[in-house]
Amino acid sequence: MIFRIDPASERAIYVQIMDEVKRAMVTDALAPHEALPSVRQLASELKVNPNTVKQAYRELEHEGLVYTERGRGTFVSAWDGRRRDRERAGLVRSLAGRAVQEAIRHGISPAELAEAMRQLADEAEREGVA
Amino acid sequence: MSSRSIPGVIEGRLSVSTSKVRKRWGRRVALDGATLTVPEGSAYVLVGPNGAGKTTLMRVLLDLVRADEGTATVSGRDSVRDGAAVRALCGWLPEREDAGYGWMRVQDLLSHHAAYRPAWNAGYADRLLDRLGVRDHTRFGKLSKGEARRVQLVMALAHCPPVLLLDEPTDGLDPLMREQALEVLTDHLATYQTTLLVSTHRVAEVEGLGDHLGVLREGRLEAQLDRETMRARLCRYTIGVPEGWSGAPALNGDVVRRSGGGREMAWTVWGTRQEVIGRLSGAGAEVRDVAPVTLEEAAVSLLALPGADRRAGGGRVQGVQETNGGRK
Repeated sequence: MIFRIDPASERAIYVQIMDEVKRAMVTDALAPHEALPSVRQLASELKVNPNTVKQAYRELEHEGLVYTERGRGTFVSAWDGRRRDRERAGLVRSLAGRAVQEAIRHGISPAELAEAMRQLADEAEREGVA
Repeated sequence: MSSRSIPGVIEGRLSVSTSKVRKRWGRRVALDGATLTVPEGSAYVLVGPNGAGKTTLMRVLLDLVRADEGTATVSGRDSVRDGAAVRALCGWLPEREDAGYGWMRVQDLLSHHAAYRPAWNAGYADRLLDRLGVRDHTRFGKLSKGEARRVQLVMALAHCPPVLLLDEPTDGLDPLMREQALEVLTDHLATYQTTLLVSTHRVAEVEGLGDHLGVLREGRLEAQLDRETMRARLCRYTIGVPEGWSGAPALNGDVVRRSGGGREMAWTVWGTRQEVIGRLSGAGAEVRDVAPVTLEEAAVSLLALPGADRRAGGGRVQGVQETNGGRK
């Protein structure tokens, strides 16, 4: 899987890494019991502090989404449909939250934003994208 | 009257520290009571204008320069009393290559360097040279600046020291080489327990790597803070204000940087979000967005504090040091 993070983003880097793992899980880019990249590998790929990657993995483990086997690495936990839906909903909310924040910065009300989103969704559906 | 308390001292188990170091070169003051606090295991980014004393501070740590006053320690050892041991504990990448070894071929220079370092890992050194694409039969003096920097990086890393002191490590490297050097460095930090002190003008480069920031100006550490403190207490507020707005007096002294103008501005302010938002709103501003600053923005903002502002209010700088005695 490809991790995409933005070190200059206002979201803490470990949160971005966590979200990327969740995104991969939700989109089946990472299957249950599949290994996450090693801390070293991911840190040098993203050029972030290894401690940041460790922190992200630790938090994910705390949330029960991954498990660690000593000396072998970190793996994706098996999850049931309910858990998956919950994580998916969480990702949707966080994405929407960022959009709402951006809207407010533009002086646009969340309701206006929602309306525009609905229109875009309708258009996408008409064009057969979604 | 300022309540500013941008941390001047970082607490915790320190790996590298200096205490009130002063150093003069003739009439020029290079270090003026610099107190540096680098916790064990951190990746500490040191910024400052040219001539702020960054290089001198690192050289004092290694006892390559004797301070006029003050002390320096590395891993609990005094730099002056225990200079040789301190140098053995450190991987050092100087800002300028040492003249005098130019006639040596890279491989000989490395063997020479290794002879003084029992922990030298020759296999690792070879892999690093290979990864960085350095030609090891060339004479050191004939290398381009970028190549010389890469050899120096290998010299700093290959004995896997507990402490790395890197002075402008990516200076003189082209974008691809910078990327490779940063990859090597990140990989190194992930593999070996290392405390990193790195000075750089390119803070964006180490945005993901740095977890501590120190701002050195005119020979003094004006601010030192960890990433979490920064995220929590140094934010950029985008505010909408009425025409002819007169500002927020309640925040005087806490505004690190103002940008923008007219009816929308961005202020970088020190303080808890709640408090700052309260004060901004109280002064008639509408807070549209609050975002933690990046390492680079923090560096730029803290460096941009005007001198007069810094010295206002009976020496805020000293206040910084004092206020932080009790910081947790």
